[in-house]
Amino acid sequence: MQAQSPDSEPFPIHVAVVEDDRDTRDALCKIIQAAPDMRLAGTACTLAEGMAMLSGPPADVLLVDLGLPDGSGIDIIRATATQWPSCSVMVSTNFGDETHVMRSLEMGAAGYLLKDSSPAKIIDEIRILASGGSPISPIIARQVLMRFRQSGTEAASAPAQPADQSTLLSAREREVLDYITKGFTTNEIAKLMALSHFTVRSFVRRIYGKLKVTSKAEAIFEAKALGLSRD
Amino acid sequence: MKTRSARLFPHILSYAALIFPVAMLIVVAAWRLGEGGLDPASTSMHLANADWQVTLQAGMQAPPSSVDSKTLPNTWKSTTLPRAFSPAVASGTGRQGATGRKQEVSTTWIRLSAERTSLPSGPLALYSPRIKTDGTIAIYVDGKLTHQEQQQGPLWNSLFTPLWMGLGEGANGTPPQEILICVQHPAASWVGMSSLWLGNAASLQRTYDMRLWLQRELPAMLSAAFLAVGVFALFVWFKRRHETSYLLFFNVAATSFVAHMHYYVGMPIANDWFAWLTINSLLWLVAALHFFLCHLHGRPLKWLTRALILALLVIGVVTLPLLPDTSSFAWAIYAIILLTAGSVVVVGAVNAWNRTSEGRVLVVGLGLCALVGVPDWFLHNNIMSTEGWFTGAYTNAITFGMFTLLMFHRYVNAIADVERTNASLARRLQEREAELARSHKLLLDAELRQTISDERQRLMLDMHDGLGSSLISAIRSVERGNIDDAKMSQILKDCLDDLKLTIDSMEPVEADLLLLLATLRFRLEPRLEGTGIVLLWNVRELPALAWLDPSNALHILRIVQESIANILRHAHASEIRVSTKLEEYGVQVVMEDNGRGFDVDKALDSSAGRGLHNQRRRALAVKGRVSWKSGPTGTCFSLWLPLDSDAAVN
Repeated sequence: MQAQSPDSEPFPIHVAVVEDDRDTRDALCKIIQAAPDMRLAGTACTLAEGMAMLSGPPADVLLVDLGLPDGSGIDIIRATATQWPSCSVMVSTNFGDETHVMRSLEMGAAGYLLKDSSPAKIIDEIRILASGGSPISPIIARQVLMRFRQSGTEAASAPAQPADQSTLLSAREREVLDYITKGFTTNEIAKLMALSHFTVRSFVRRIYGKLKVTSKAEAIFEAKALGLSRD
Repeated sequence: MKTRSARLFPHILSYAALIFPVAMLIVVAAWRLGEGGLDPASTSMHLANADWQVTLQAGMQAPPSSVDSKTLPNTWKSTTLPRAFSPAVASGTGRQGATGRKQEVSTTWIRLSAERTSLPSGPLALYSPRIKTDGTIAIYVDGKLTHQEQQQGPLWNSLFTPLWMGLGEGANGTPPQEILICVQHPAASWVGMSSLWLGNAASLQRTYDMRLWLQRELPAMLSAAFLAVGVFALFVWFKRRHETSYLLFFNVAATSFVAHMHYYVGMPIANDWFAWLTINSLLWLVAALHFFLCHLHGRPLKWLTRALILALLVIGVVTLPLLPDTSSFAWAIYAIILLTAGSVVVVGAVNAWNRTSEGRVLVVGLGLCALVGVPDWFLHNNIMSTEGWFTGAYTNAITFGMFTLLMFHRYVNAIADVERTNASLARRLQEREAELARSHKLLLDAELRQTISDERQRLMLDMHDGLGSSLISAIRSVERGNIDDAKMSQILKDCLDDLKLTIDSMEPVEADLLLLLATLRFRLEPRLEGTGIVLLWNVRELPALAWLDPSNALHILRIVQESIANILRHAHASEIRVSTKLEEYGVQVVMEDNGRGFDVDKALDSSAGRGLHNQRRRALAVKGRVSWKSGPTGTCFSLWLPLDSDAAVN
């Protein structure tokens, strides 16, 4: 399902949507089509359709609903990482669903979107995501911090797991997360840390990337400990 | 296969551990029995036909070094051995004086002829199972004194020690022709003489050894073993004073040992106290057994006990060495002892038979003891052949075996009991644990139900005030048709915010008030978008508030939410500044706006002040307080919260 949008930008953001609720899907499509710098690359209503879509040309941003009628959107997130490596995945979620958000970030999602956000906010978030930034909330920041504290100590106790840069938070990344849990917005943090607004957002993206690596490393470590994996 | 052999191995080991010592014992016994190797019947001569006569003399005399039998009076009578020579017979042939009879000494001469040439070559020996006499024994071979026994008078163990006499190398090829036995003894006492064997020393040695071992050494071993077990029981009693049976058992073992000591002690019967002990200990043994039986069947049997003690005392006193000699009616004393033993057995049997299996074992054993004691008495009193067996020596073996059986049963039963007890303890422990787990689960369930009920109560209260009433008024407005879409959307958005905060309050914030405020800001930020109001976030690090549970968190969220809503609704401000402060006993959350302010007292009094009252009520619920300072340049709302929920609100 290709949709036409005014080709005003030389490099429009191609956005694909996987959403089973028709109203939400239509609303999202309308918002995207209305944005001058975006193009709706495709839509899917089910997990199967979503997976089929991944064999086509890659989009820049993929909006995924987790609760699909024939399976979990998590599978699509995982498949996107291999089939559309350049695509940023954004999980569309309801409020109070932090557990699923964390799980999606670990699987490679770059951000998440509250379904009740205003159209302006939705467009804004898609743009930030396409440019390499990621959104975050105080509760997610808190959970990420806790996750790294745990995996930090686990990594220290596991000799097979060297504590390299790709799995540990840098001091600045940690500082960003600390500010988020205290209620500061990314703009305020940028000012406090003398960074650009965009840099703070890209810090968050990097943190999510480490979260994915860490959770993978943990999975491998656990698999080794259970004797499931040889390498 | 591997596991099977691993299982089999201990079996093989234990069989080996059983078979090896048993085989060892059998081999040793075979050596003992197989010694000699020659058949005594073909290599020795049984001398059973003898001539005998009795001569009288004034007193004991040392036997001359040689006696020619032809010089003795020619009053030989022939007889067949074994035979007991009674004093009547002995004195019947000699002069019988009415006076000084006690001083008179008889000499009983027994002559045996060995005029045969069928004796084997090699060392020869003379063997006889027993010579029973109170006097000295001298043996002449071909007229020459070759062997003497009991030179100092009778020995305690003489009845149990067979006669053995080596004759050397058959006297240069000439075998002995005549054996003359000379027994000097008080004229009134009996002489018992068993038959003799003359023959190959090696083959006779075996017969002699066997007799000695069975008659003296084996009973001695068993007697010592019985005493050792008795001492063991004594030590058990030291540790377990309430179990009298162990002490009684020691008593039985000790008296039994003493009563049979004369079987093995080779000293001359000169010590009268030893004689007294020997006679009386037998009765004490009967008494000890009686008490043991009483203990087993649990009936006092007063009359029998009294009779026993009486007999014990009377015999004890009568046989005292200080009193006149009683040896002439020793047979009667022994008869009394046998009778008491018999009555103890019978009475014990009647009482214990149906009560305890231990009692039955004991009674059977005691019956056997009494039975084996009877031949002894017969032998002592020359009613039975002198060559017979003193079975009395084996009473110890019987008592020992019997008590060992009892102990074996007790020991095995005790182990089984302990195992049963352990098993039942383990089972009871398991039951108890299961019960505990059950009640613990019930408790947990109750706690969970309580928690759920509390949570439900809390959410119901919250929704009743906020979400519920908002939705109801929205529904009414829609039904009346006097509400536009934008307003409707706003009301629903407010409801959604309410709901989000309710959910957020359940997020574990780990006592972090700033995280709670951060979440609130994150939720309400979209509401500020497009209002042109700037939110200045001026918070400071705060200590953890341990009391910050979901219920209290929701109160705080609602208080701050209400404040922001009031500013948005009424203040017409362009700036809201949120700051936090740490004080001595609490923390303060301050919200200042640059709006137009309001009359706090008036608002609190009017119905419009319901929101303010709600804030105050919620603050009290978390033991905090709220205050407003309002003027034309803005309003300052502050929420004070205690550091410690127990701290007094002042």
